Amino acid sequence: MAACLSPVGAVRVGTGVQKFAFPIFLILLLASIALAWAPALLWPNKPLLVRDVLAVVGVVAFVSLFAMFAIWWERKVAARIQSRLGPMRVGGWHGWAQSLADGLKLFQKEDIFLAGADRPLYRLAAYIAFVPALCLFLALPFSTAWIARDLDVGLIFILALLGLGVLGVLLAGWASNNKWSIYGAMREACQMISYEIPLGFALLVPILTAGTLRLTAIGDLQDAGFPSWLAFHNPFLLIAAVLFFVATLASCKRAPFDLPEAESELVAGYHTEYSGFRWALFFFAEYAEMFAAGALAAILFFGAWHSPLPAEWGRTWRSGPLWQQALHGVLFSGPLWLIGKGLFFVYVQMWLRWTLPRIRLDQVMYACVQVMLPLAMLNLLAHAVWQWLVPADSLLAQIANGVCTAIGAVTIVAILATIAYGLFHRRRLVGTLVVDHRPGA
Amino acid sequence: MTDIDPQITGETMPAPGVAPGTLHTEDLLVNMGPQHPSTHGVLRLLLRTDGELVVEATPHIGYLHRCAEKIGENVTPVQFVPMTDRLDYLAAMNNNHGYSLAVEKLCGIEVPERARYIRVIMCELNRIASHLVSFGSYGLDMGAFTPFLYAFREREYIVDLFEATCGARLTYNYLTIGGAAADLPAGFLDRLAWFLDYFEPKIDEYNRLLSYNYIFVKRTAGVGVISAADAIAYGLTGPCLRGSGVRWDLRRCVPYEIYDRFEFDIPIGVPGGTDDIPPEVVVGDSWSRYYVRMLEMKQSVRILRQCLRQIPDGEYRAKVPRVLKLPAGEVYLEVEGARGQLGFLVVGDNGPIPRRVKVRGPSFCNLSIIPHVCRRVLLADVAAILGSIDVVMGEVDR
Amino acid sequence: MDSASWEALAFYAVAILVAGSALGCVLATNIVRMAMCLLGTLGGVALLYFLLTATFLGVIQLIVYAGGTLILIVFGIMLTSRSVGERLRPRPGEALAATVIFLALLVGLVALLHTGTWASGNNEGTLSVARIGQELLTTWLVPFELASVLLLAVMIGAAYLVQPLGRAPREPGGPRSTEGDS
Repeated sequence: MAACLSPVGAVRVGTGVQKFAFPIFLILLLASIALAWAPALLWPNKPLLVRDVLAVVGVVAFVSLFAMFAIWWERKVAARIQSRLGPMRVGGWHGWAQSLADGLKLFQKEDIFLAGADRPLYRLAAYIAFVPALCLFLALPFSTAWIARDLDVGLIFILALLGLGVLGVLLAGWASNNKWSIYGAMREACQMISYEIPLGFALLVPILTAGTLRLTAIGDLQDAGFPSWLAFHNPFLLIAAVLFFVATLASCKRAPFDLPEAESELVAGYHTEYSGFRWALFFFAEYAEMFAAGALAAILFFGAWHSPLPAEWGRTWRSGPLWQQALHGVLFSGPLWLIGKGLFFVYVQMWLRWTLPRIRLDQVMYACVQVMLPLAMLNLLAHAVWQWLVPADSLLAQIANGVCTAIGAVTIVAILATIAYGLFHRRRLVGTLVVDHRPGA
Repeated sequence: MTDIDPQITGETMPAPGVAPGTLHTEDLLVNMGPQHPSTHGVLRLLLRTDGELVVEATPHIGYLHRCAEKIGENVTPVQFVPMTDRLDYLAAMNNNHGYSLAVEKLCGIEVPERARYIRVIMCELNRIASHLVSFGSYGLDMGAFTPFLYAFREREYIVDLFEATCGARLTYNYLTIGGAAADLPAGFLDRLAWFLDYFEPKIDEYNRLLSYNYIFVKRTAGVGVISAADAIAYGLTGPCLRGSGVRWDLRRCVPYEIYDRFEFDIPIGVPGGTDDIPPEVVVGDSWSRYYVRMLEMKQSVRILRQCLRQIPDGEYRAKVPRVLKLPAGEVYLEVEGARGQLGFLVVGDNGPIPRRVKVRGPSFCNLSIIPHVCRRVLLADVAAILGSIDVVMGEVDR
Repeated sequence: MDSASWEALAFYAVAILVAGSALGCVLATNIVRMAMCLLGTLGGVALLYFLLTATFLGVIQLIVYAGGTLILIVFGIMLTSRSVGERLRPRPGEALAATVIFLALLVGLVALLHTGTWASGNNEGTLSVARIGQELLTTWLVPFELASVLLLAVMIGAAYLVQPLGRAPREPGGPRSTEGDS
């Protein structure tokens, strides 16, 4: 009867090889990333085909590794928010190999043959959902030099590919040979494409400021430190940043906009009939799109791959020895900053998912058409007028810049402080379930 | 108590502003099958939908029928108490309590004071536990995954108290004929005091997390409005009735056991805009029913604190003969369970085994309003309404 | 191989994709397979634009056709078709007429390709997006505005079409409630 429920005591760190499993994995991970991306340093010298192949390999490697990491991370974040621990056993340290185990499990599942459904279309749907999510990383810059193909129209290329994912959802619902799958898929597709409109309007605002669709150019505009980040130029850009983030939430069908997925509990949703690796493909696509949305928000609004410090201060280090260049990459601008910012936005998306209830579909559509769309259009109009009337270095512009920078700094510091508080006081927040209720105690 | 309006109004809620068009559409039947992802139990709802609107909703019950009442005609009352646990399995102590009270009234057994206080403590603790499950699973229905785990975290403390007392976590078989099956263990009251101090601020925290959350309010306020007249006409009891503004609680209006010695309020649904109630709330909507449960948890804490102060020492069970003979006659007694008025009819015939045992399950009557209220609502609202009515199929099917 | 032959190889591959998808779209009997072949065709045309370094046009092709028109078509199919396995077969007369017209068009196009003189336009290299925008709003302003007005009319028309019109209220009869096990 002495049921002592101690959550931490039940887990034992592995002995022998297990203890080193995580460090070994980390080294392999970094090595694979380095091997895939190191040729970027040699790019100007290699023939085009080799360069492209290496870029594609690097993209696929990054997306796969990120998806696996994100699955594990989501489970940990969800668990900590819900006052529990999450994966703790698989691999030893906080269950880091859980995604690997899940991937293996999904891989060896039986490939179901749906009676009455269209087999080729059933397969095609998973691929149509997954391939655009991969392809958009070809145009996504991790830094000025670390980009697979620096397209002139990079931004709308990414937008086009985000829109192609809708077809995968529709086809998946159809191929399930289930009336309710079809209706669920249509509702979901409807939500996704509706939110592309405010997304586009929100995207137009930084395009107006930057004057180009080239993502590396937009990123390089923001290298003069924290106040130069595009979101803080004027209040309209700040509003556009928020609108963009909310629109990508809805476009990626993340909570609180995931009613079509939940309605799939009552009525069949588009991926009900998918199991095993095909389901994993949908999942991977979702996480890839999440990161792409976060990275895009960072590039367009929040300083791209630059740190809050102005790049001026480290300009000499750019052409120094390798260790100086690495330090420059860590301190001033480098791919690590973009990945970090992308991860931050992914974390915020996860945070929102596990905190907020779902919004009903008619309320979602109401919010899109009657709230976000007029707001986005007016915002664009106001920003265009501002850009036309207010010179770039006038007092008004600088005041606006200062105010928005202050708001942004306070918000970001508050969020980071909340995260840090949660990290350092997690034991108190999770609570102990040690209950001593033996008679006489 | 409000008067029953002899003219039962047809529509309790206005139809949403979607009018039918001239396109030929077909009605589709949606089966919210007996298996649910959330804890509604084995209930099958057949919905006929016209596009997004639910035109007709028909509950199909009986999936959990276990012939409890028939079993009652074949076992002695003491043997039937574990069966009552399995009726409303989330608030099992209340079921035990109701059945024991009915049998004691029939046999004329006088229950000692300490036993009565033990019973009230257990019933109120179980009410809190049941409302926690309702709160958690309602959040889960609405897509907020986290309150469910917080609710079960608090429930762990309560259930640990129960486990220390009677050895079981869900079906207790504790409040038996004559009192309680065993005395409270040493340290129980201190542990209970600690729990009350720990838990009371949590209710406010959960209100901040879920009840006043804008999205949650939008999903549940104004949805599934049941007028007071309809609620009374359909026999709703418990938080469903109180959510419609009817201040009726058996513990206050027809006091049984020692509830007349305690001071507590009866929370009812109030219109939006007063206090900290969100302005979209209408009396009798899903949010009101849900919020009544949150407030009831606070009142249960209040009752428990008074119990802690007042509980005397003494016997935990009356002297009940080994073979209890039920005199001829019948007793029908209702207690306020977590979901409403839980009634037990025991008909004795001068023998150890009753001739008839009938259970009035509050969820059975509460469920009957589903076809009436789920007319012309959106498909997503059915989940909101069902969660706010908070049925436990054990009581419905018995 | 030099880059010109890589380009030729890529062109032929994409051309086979486009032509094959178009053929599949016409010859398929399942309506959703037709839509997917259409996706192949439209996507292939976008790839052709990318091959011709008209990246802006290719992206717009993807956004407007593959990500807009095709989705509209698929929505229409899914809302109105009876069942998943529905087969559409053309009547024999229709197939004959279609083949005749197809052959006539093919012969005419090939003849045109061989006899016409095709001047290559001013080869300014890749047209920048900024230049395209400028041209749209200066040289081609009137067609741009006409297209915008047309789209506005279409949107207003669509909004008008979904207005609820009066209809006799449905009685709660209809299909028997017992047939729920679909």
